[in-house]
Amino acid sequence: MRRIISATVVALLAAQPVSAETFRWAGKTDPQTMDPHAVNSAPVLGFLNNVYEGLMRRDQNMQIEGALATHWEPIGSEGWRFHLREGVTFQNGSPFTAADVLFSYKRATLPQSDVASWFASVADVKIIDDYTVEFHTVAPNPIFPDTITNFMIMDQEWTEANDAAVPAKDAENYATRHANGTGAFKVVDRQPDLKTVVEPFADWWDEATHNITRAEYTPIQNPATAVAALLSGEVDMINPVPTQDVARLSHNADVKVLEDIEARVIMFGFSNQADTLKYTDDAGEPNPFKDPRVRMAVNHAINVDAIVQTIMRGSAQPVSQLVSPAMRGYSEKLADRPAYDLDKARALLAEAGYADGFSFGLKCPNNRYINDEAVCQAAVGMLAQIGLDVELEAMPVSNYWGELRAGNFDMYMLGWSPGSFDAEHPIRFLVTTPDPEKKLGSWNFGGFSNDKIDALLPQIQSEIDDTKRQALLDDSVKILQDEAGYVPMYVQALLWGARENVDLVQRADNFFILRWVTVN
Amino acid sequence: MVSFLIRRVLQAGLVLLVVGLVAFSMFNFVGDPIDNMLGQERTQADIDRLRAQLGLDQPFVIQYWTFLTNAAEGNFGVSYRQGRPVSEIIAERAPATLELATVSALFAMSMGVILGIFTAIRRKGVLAHVIMSASLIGVSLPTFLIGILLIYLFSVELDWLPSFGRGEVTQVGAWSTGFLTSSGLKALVLPSITLGLFQMTLIMRLVRSEMLEVLRQDYIRFARARGLSERTINFRHALRNTLVPVITVTGLQLGSIIAFAIITETVFQWPGVGLLFINAVQFVDIPVMAAYLMLISVMFVTINLIVDILYVAIDPRLRT
Repeated sequence: MRRIISATVVALLAAQPVSAETFRWAGKTDPQTMDPHAVNSAPVLGFLNNVYEGLMRRDQNMQIEGALATHWEPIGSEGWRFHLREGVTFQNGSPFTAADVLFSYKRATLPQSDVASWFASVADVKIIDDYTVEFHTVAPNPIFPDTITNFMIMDQEWTEANDAAVPAKDAENYATRHANGTGAFKVVDRQPDLKTVVEPFADWWDEATHNITRAEYTPIQNPATAVAALLSGEVDMINPVPTQDVARLSHNADVKVLEDIEARVIMFGFSNQADTLKYTDDAGEPNPFKDPRVRMAVNHAINVDAIVQTIMRGSAQPVSQLVSPAMRGYSEKLADRPAYDLDKARALLAEAGYADGFSFGLKCPNNRYINDEAVCQAAVGMLAQIGLDVELEAMPVSNYWGELRAGNFDMYMLGWSPGSFDAEHPIRFLVTTPDPEKKLGSWNFGGFSNDKIDALLPQIQSEIDDTKRQALLDDSVKILQDEAGYVPMYVQALLWGARENVDLVQRADNFFILRWVTVN
Repeated sequence: MVSFLIRRVLQAGLVLLVVGLVAFSMFNFVGDPIDNMLGQERTQADIDRLRAQLGLDQPFVIQYWTFLTNAAEGNFGVSYRQGRPVSEIIAERAPATLELATVSALFAMSMGVILGIFTAIRRKGVLAHVIMSASLIGVSLPTFLIGILLIYLFSVELDWLPSFGRGEVTQVGAWSTGFLTSSGLKALVLPSITLGLFQMTLIMRLVRSEMLEVLRQDYIRFARARGLSERTINFRHALRNTLVPVITVTGLQLGSIIAFAIITETVFQWPGVGLLFINAVQFVDIPVMAAYLMLISVMFVTINLIVDILYVAIDPRLRT
């Protein structure tokens, strides 16, 4: 029955002339806003990368290339100079100049903006001439261009004329539902939560390589519905494909599954600072997780390969550090995870004085990462083998972060995708001793603290020489691995589904870039 | 009568206030909206500032009071997720849910009555047995599963009907309708069946048992004795007497069709208020959740109030 039907469908499709009609794609969530500075989240930035542009952009392999800036160079150790592209116009026709860059910088650093942290190191921005801008930094900042690839430039004239000079967080302004970028596509219809329609921008400065004449984005929340819509051809691309549907879709001739590793590393963290465990008292004082040998024992007891093979069905890659191999500054030399070795784990526990094990609580989200709760359940079973009695508590992500902030855990799951796509990012947010004043360690819930790493971070942040910088990064990774401050497990996979006749590029940041799409 | 009415309306108002209070006390358990509103690189200072700005640092009773005083002026606040006025969003989404609920209610009623009569008249027939067993499956399968099964059969395998969305809608004033385009009508089929199936089986079983009851009455036997045709007996005499309880039950079920639409809307990505509510729960969008819950309780309270008034109108003993 099925074969007859699909044969008929193929025949019908073949009978029709190939025309680049509307390209339809679906994702799980709707971008909340069309304002490029109001919300720093992947759905928003990913969508708006098709409409707005930054000074730089990332190519298919995440390497930086010129966009609104043609080239750029460090000004000694004081900052960066950007030479802007001439002859670029916004979608409303007004010309792009250095004034727009300065305006966008000011807008993006307002308290109402969600992207101000990208400019934490910037002291001043100077317009040299219409096509040259300088960003002066308080200290040398080698990765500043990497940090601001998603800093999108708005037209000063348009934004001010429409009274949208301040990004809106709890109200709406003109830029929430309208967009005016310099990018390859312009928004022609925006219906929040229903659909967003874009069309190619005819006067785009770069040469268009896609063959889309119109593209329509629809959020489809329920993964099974999205898969059905792809199979029935109502949409041409979906993101994500649920792991359990990968095998089934791969066997269907009309669709294909694209898989690559993502930027997000899934790890376990520990309560390093609390005097005793929160959940149980059989371990007594001190908190066993203060001892690196106990953390290392956990590291040896978790069979990451088994998790990847069974729970993730092969769609993930084991990882030894807090960034994925696709990121800048990944430590090639330290790529080996600690071996899965129960004897060694038991020996370490005995050495630390917990030969009989102890019990503790593990906190996990159940709707944040791919198969998050299942992975935690597996970890509970694995840790039981070395005598650790783990009480798992899984909860929706809306409740999860509050619990972590309140310190209600002994061990917890965390996924981290570095916003700058650089290895410095997780050190700053997850590894350094928390310090609200200096905005350090804001996601270091367990309070891991190591003086050497704290001292390494400023050096990493200001080292211009790539080789020296990599050596510093390697040092910090080595310390973190020896201390077992976190248990990095695997890099999540990107799983996209597309119709067989669609060619597209899957980028590690999970952004879907329309200008790389060809419909055959 | 007037004092009865006043008493009923006051009671209804009290119910609404209590529902709101319970809802607001629950919001604390749904989670923290702040993490959804701020990006990865937020600082503790950002968190504190936004929380104060939204009034989330206040006890829930005060949050509720603020909500009530604003609501009294017709202001339901601004959605945390979309940054737009909640009343505007709900007005935009309501037509989708109301059209879906209407079509499902019509489907449930017509099919329920027809199948109910059929299974009552032919109660020993093979087809009637098949229908009764099938209806058992329909009642016991969860809505979610029925929706997915229908999508796989009619959208993926047969390619007849769309798997998601409302199709093309036409704007008639402030109302967006799917009734005027063929894709809009097609899009209504699967969600309406999914949503109405449970009510349909309920009505069918109700009609069947009422009908069987009525057919045993003496006046039916006399009608047969008079030599009236089966058709006249079944439809003119039996059916009419069956319909009274059916109409009462169906009226009361209309509210639950709208409330149950949440699951159907999620499965079919149907852009109604149910889907809006699910999104709001996931994002902890408190203003949207509060407005939706109040709206649904207003609806239920109104339906009950009308039913109460109708009873009084019908039964003189209640008029004291």
